[in-house]
Amino acid sequence: MKELGQSLIRKQLPRLVTAALATLLSFVVLICAAPCQADSIPPADLPHSEIMRSGEKMYRDGILPSGAPMLAYIRGDIEVDSSAFSCSSCHLRAGLGSFEGGVITPPTTGKKLYQPYRRPPSLGDITDQSGRVIYAKTIIERPAYTRESLATAMRFGTDPAGQVFNDVMPRYPLSDRDMSILISYLGTLSADPSPGASSSEFRFATVITDDVSQSDRLALLAPLQKFIAQQDQQLKMYSDFNKFGYAPTIDMKYAFRSASLDIWELKGPPESWQKQLAAYNNNKPVFAVLGGISNRDWRPIHDFCEAERLPCLYPITDFPVVSESGWYTYYFNKGYFQEGDAVGRYINRLETLSAKKTILQIVQDSPIGTALASGFQNSWNELEHPAVTTLTLSAEQLRNPSVLHKLLKKHKPGVLLLWTDAELLPQLPKLISLIHPEGIVFVSSGYLGTKTVSVPESVRDKVYISYPYRLTPYVGSQDGGFDAKVPILTTFKDFGDRRITSRSTTMLKQATLRGLNLLYDDLHRDHLLDVMSMQMDLTVRDYERLSFGPGQRFASKGCYIIQLGQGTSPALLPRSEWVIH
Amino acid sequence: MKKQFPALIPFLLLLLMTWVLTAVPARAESTRYKRTVEKYKLPDVVLINQNGKKVSLASMLNTDQPVVVDFIYGTCTTICPVLSAGYTNLQNRLAASGQMPRLISITIDPENDSPNVMKEYLKRYRAKPGWDFYTGRRADIDAVMKGFNAYIPDKMSHYPLNLIRSPKDGSWVRLFGIMSSSELMKEYLQVSGK
Repeated sequence: MKELGQSLIRKQLPRLVTAALATLLSFVVLICAAPCQADSIPPADLPHSEIMRSGEKMYRDGILPSGAPMLAYIRGDIEVDSSAFSCSSCHLRAGLGSFEGGVITPPTTGKKLYQPYRRPPSLGDITDQSGRVIYAKTIIERPAYTRESLATAMRFGTDPAGQVFNDVMPRYPLSDRDMSILISYLGTLSADPSPGASSSEFRFATVITDDVSQSDRLALLAPLQKFIAQQDQQLKMYSDFNKFGYAPTIDMKYAFRSASLDIWELKGPPESWQKQLAAYNNNKPVFAVLGGISNRDWRPIHDFCEAERLPCLYPITDFPVVSESGWYTYYFNKGYFQEGDAVGRYINRLETLSAKKTILQIVQDSPIGTALASGFQNSWNELEHPAVTTLTLSAEQLRNPSVLHKLLKKHKPGVLLLWTDAELLPQLPKLISLIHPEGIVFVSSGYLGTKTVSVPESVRDKVYISYPYRLTPYVGSQDGGFDAKVPILTTFKDFGDRRITSRSTTMLKQATLRGLNLLYDDLHRDHLLDVMSMQMDLTVRDYERLSFGPGQRFASKGCYIIQLGQGTSPALLPRSEWVIH
Repeated sequence: MKKQFPALIPFLLLLLMTWVLTAVPARAESTRYKRTVEKYKLPDVVLINQNGKKVSLASMLNTDQPVVVDFIYGTCTTICPVLSAGYTNLQNRLAASGQMPRLISITIDPENDSPNVMKEYLKRYRAKPGWDFYTGRRADIDAVMKGFNAYIPDKMSHYPLNLIRSPKDGSWVRLFGIMSSSELMKEYLQVSGK
């Protein structure tokens, strides 16, 4: 890279000299009029907390302390507004860098910057590897930065040895004061290791609430405890390697740490959970919460993890917190909300439905009914449709046929959303006879559970069912071998299966373990979330595809709309794509 | 070499500052992207734009203007922001002469990139009319990537690519690598014949 930079400079020297003379005066004004050491001193008039707050805003959101966007330039003339993409877009929240598209983004924390650095090897180092040498080449080794050389690096794209950065790194013409704030922030970013991890151990916990059945509890704990046992077994193997004289590679030594798992049992009303969680965590802090299970709203646990900045990895919950800003909990999907949301998107795409505009949503007064309705309303609003008529009824009201009959006669809906439990299923033929002649009904397989299969045969062509799991045969390695996967085809027997063990196993083995191994010696919780968000998509047993990305917190984005075939062992007939746009 | 380096630093910095602040056009000569001219057989698929509207790939390309295509996704780091900033700059530069280029971004993360996500993305990059972002069925997106000889099984292993379709003969200029704004502008104008 250094040679490349020098050769470019040699080639362009005559033009550059002319341009340099023409602009020399402005450089003098811009660079030299300010005190030369200005970057190296944190602003004296600002309290430390304010410097950190402003620095974080610059780093994460690309917003200057003045409120204006941070401007930057790529390849000399592409002007970039950093509120579109900021430092943390590439260097990520923990500042320990990323790897994407063959480009290595190096760490940008003070701890790493102020010492010499050699980055891991990359595809981009190999000439002609898919032509990537054209753009993916990054600096391999550099000396330590100082605050001054760091300011130079951000302004002009050169490291302390004069090596020029990869083109994807913008150049930031920051004022001395703003630069100083940003540099001060980087100095504290991921400065101390997170609690619950050391060079020899990871401490984990899992959360189980007292509404969970014994069998569900075991279904969760089996894969978790196996995961911990395997970690410890591998550690023993690693010790044996050492004992018998095998020298581990640098990477290998980071992959083996002992692990422990505490069970955080939550009892009583959800309002008391946060206090219980705090007591557990204060007593013995953990690095992350692995899984967990509750039949109730996950919010108190979610909020605790946000407040404590504690990763919570793939709990079994149908009531996740659906938000754009949640950071610390990774969910499988949006639970019941996702089913309702998919129904809204499916109806939006129905072109033949003449009575599309008359939608009636009947919601059983229960957390599940509310979550389904909330999902539907979310997509329906997003798609800019007018609000639909929503009626919330108690279980007793729903059991009373005359109540529903009266309502249906009154509204005569073209689309009936029935967010109720399976008790209503025997009534379906009568209810459907009361809606619009071309009308259709939507129900949730999550709410109906195993009884989904008992939708009466006479109305199966009118009933559409949301189903958030895989339908198609499971594709593993086609050639057999160690990673050959058993082909499966989802059937009616899968209704009501919460897949606690299979889902937890997948996420532990395919996502969590990979994330932990990639931490190396950077034992920061934010870094774990960062590396897990940068992983490749997964083809798994329970979902069609799991996908990840910075800021993405729901791995499965899909939910089919299906119908049932005829008979007591009906086929599951997909009527939509896995992901409906 | 290393020992001589400290003495060179001020000089090097001066040259680099010159380059950064004046956007020396000579930079375009040191091409760091790969340019080829290709013919593609593209699939007959329908994609969905940021407004939720279904649009066939064929109709997107059915224009007497050049069409620029790239592959990005909403939560991408590193490469897509650079490509998209390139689009923004191209729009701004051409708008100065009253031109509105046809720019197409196709997601490589169709599971996550809903019309809403794409709309927010375009807003973030201050996209003007003429730049549309498309999602669709995974199988269709794969077919489009394959049609452009740009298939990647996973978004994390993507690469920077701009494709410019000539309205004259339907050929495509394939530009692999990270381009400066001037370079993209030059390539665009060359294809448009202006």
